[in-house]
Amino acid sequence: MSEVISARALRELIGGWLKAGIRVAGPRRVATDQVAYAWLDRPEDCLLGGYIHPHNSIKEFFFPRHESLYEYRIEGKKIALKNPEPLADERIVIGARPCDAAAMPILDHVFNWDFKDPFYNRRREQTTVVTLACREHDHECFCTSVGLGPDAERGSDVMLYELDGDMYEVRCVTDKGGNLMAGRTETSQLTGSVPPGPAKKFDLAYLRETIGSKFESPVWTEATLRCMACGACAYTCPTCHCFDIVDEGNARGGIRAKNWDACQFPMFTLHASGHNPRNTQPQRQRQRVMHKFSIYPDKFGDVLCTGCGNCTRHCSVHLGVQTVLEAAEKSWRNATV
Amino acid sequence: MLNDLRQTARQLLADKKVDVVIGYGQADPAGPAYPVFITRPEDTEQLVFNDRCYNNLTTFLTRKEIRAMGRAAVLVKGCDAKSVVVLAVESQIDRQSVVVIGMACNGVGQPSLAKCRTCDVHMPRHTDMVIGQAADHAIEAKDRYAELAEMMSKSASERLAYWGQELSRCVKCYACRQVCPMCYCERCVADKNQPQVIKTSATTMGNLAWQINRAFHLASRCVGCDECTRACPAGINLRLLNLMLAQATEEQFDYRPGMDKDAQPVLGCFSVKDKECFIK
Repeated sequence: MSEVISARALRELIGGWLKAGIRVAGPRRVATDQVAYAWLDRPEDCLLGGYIHPHNSIKEFFFPRHESLYEYRIEGKKIALKNPEPLADERIVIGARPCDAAAMPILDHVFNWDFKDPFYNRRREQTTVVTLACREHDHECFCTSVGLGPDAERGSDVMLYELDGDMYEVRCVTDKGGNLMAGRTETSQLTGSVPPGPAKKFDLAYLRETIGSKFESPVWTEATLRCMACGACAYTCPTCHCFDIVDEGNARGGIRAKNWDACQFPMFTLHASGHNPRNTQPQRQRQRVMHKFSIYPDKFGDVLCTGCGNCTRHCSVHLGVQTVLEAAEKSWRNATV
Repeated sequence: MLNDLRQTARQLLADKKVDVVIGYGQADPAGPAYPVFITRPEDTEQLVFNDRCYNNLTTFLTRKEIRAMGRAAVLVKGCDAKSVVVLAVESQIDRQSVVVIGMACNGVGQPSLAKCRTCDVHMPRHTDMVIGQAADHAIEAKDRYAELAEMMSKSASERLAYWGQELSRCVKCYACRQVCPMCYCERCVADKNQPQVIKTSATTMGNLAWQINRAFHLASRCVGCDECTRACPAGINLRLLNLMLAQATEEQFDYRPGMDKDAQPVLGCFSVKDKECFIK
């Protein structure tokens, strides 16, 4: 026994949410060759197939690329501060990939560690994540290498499985998901399944055990010398979460903004003195990979990567977590023989 | 062709004429090629050249990590060869100390990238050698700028709406800048924060400011390799901006960056014949 919904009923449901003033985000064609997670204006904007992975991730609905923390106004010697309007709206992300949904509980650690980020947490509370299980993968996908898979439920409130005949099986994972779909589905004998995901690209257990002692390994330079030092990997990554706090305004006032930042930029660690502790690009790539597979899991217990493959997919020199870890594993295993 | 390339690279390294050959490698024939840095003659077998060799490798000539490796030989397609000319004209490289290996190219991508469809430099120019053969035929200017003509046929407000829409997807990852051989500044104006001239916020206005600034700085310098367009993770068609710069430079100054190594660069010379009709 299962619960199912027709594609048509699902679209009507999206239309109903939009009509009720709920903000709905999902995969949407934003240019001829581009599918991105974006706010939907109409139910037909939502694409639930025909692409492997949108060019961004769902993190931006929780941790936007630019956000005003407060406004300030300078009048004479007085400074007036104004908090942003509280976000009161209910939001739904539909058609998330399992690798994107899984990133959210992983990010919860860092946004609730020493400081509980009210902006992030408010959005987490207000947003229901409806995930579409994957039936296809490409060369860059590697979810299975980090313990996830094409229908991993982590981070999802509802899972959708494509069925024949324009139907989806609906599995509610959380109460939030159950409330969203209550009364919207029909009982059926059909159950959804997914083909096996991508073959494993590296041995996570081995790398976790080894990486901490490999800070000086020559593989970092060998595997990452070609890095162009842009932020495409970090900004399309579901789990990269670095940000910078900047003031934007003029002599009379402005905003204090929280903007995405990325560890691949030389500026990221440049000291005021001119010294840069991560002075070469391979050192910065090492930081990115070690943060994901050593520093973050040592601190929070979760690897900071969901295997979505966006880093490699969007890299102009075909460099990402997958290519670096494949090279690292090969090099380190050979070295111990 | 591949044998010639590997043999040439092997010889350059064996004779110690260069310390590193900047070329293309490819782990998976179904995947894209990517830059490799070959320092030992026996590793030249890793070199490939095919229609998946997208990168403009000349960008590496000004990178400190690569400069530290010593004298370089670099593989260039016809489009990339133009950036070697501009880098030399702008005194960013000592042309005599770089070995430029031209690769005859019939276009990259399947289907070919837009730049390849109007390419008139299949045989690289101003290189130290060219490996392979390809036929060049002149392409009329109107064909080279056909995509731009389509864009310019729209009204100013339609064009602004188009760019607003496109740039709303920009996340300020600066991939466009980082892959650009002409963006060699040690500290980009976008990274200067005392004062912060270009906002770091990836808002539509901030993104517009960034791309306008980038276009200004590339006017008469952009060689049209279109790597920015390919590198953009948001798929913004920056090629249209590049075409705009190229067309203005060609029409106003009869200059195409990187085509003639002896031509005076537009921004580096003054001629009483310079048109001034664009100053309003």
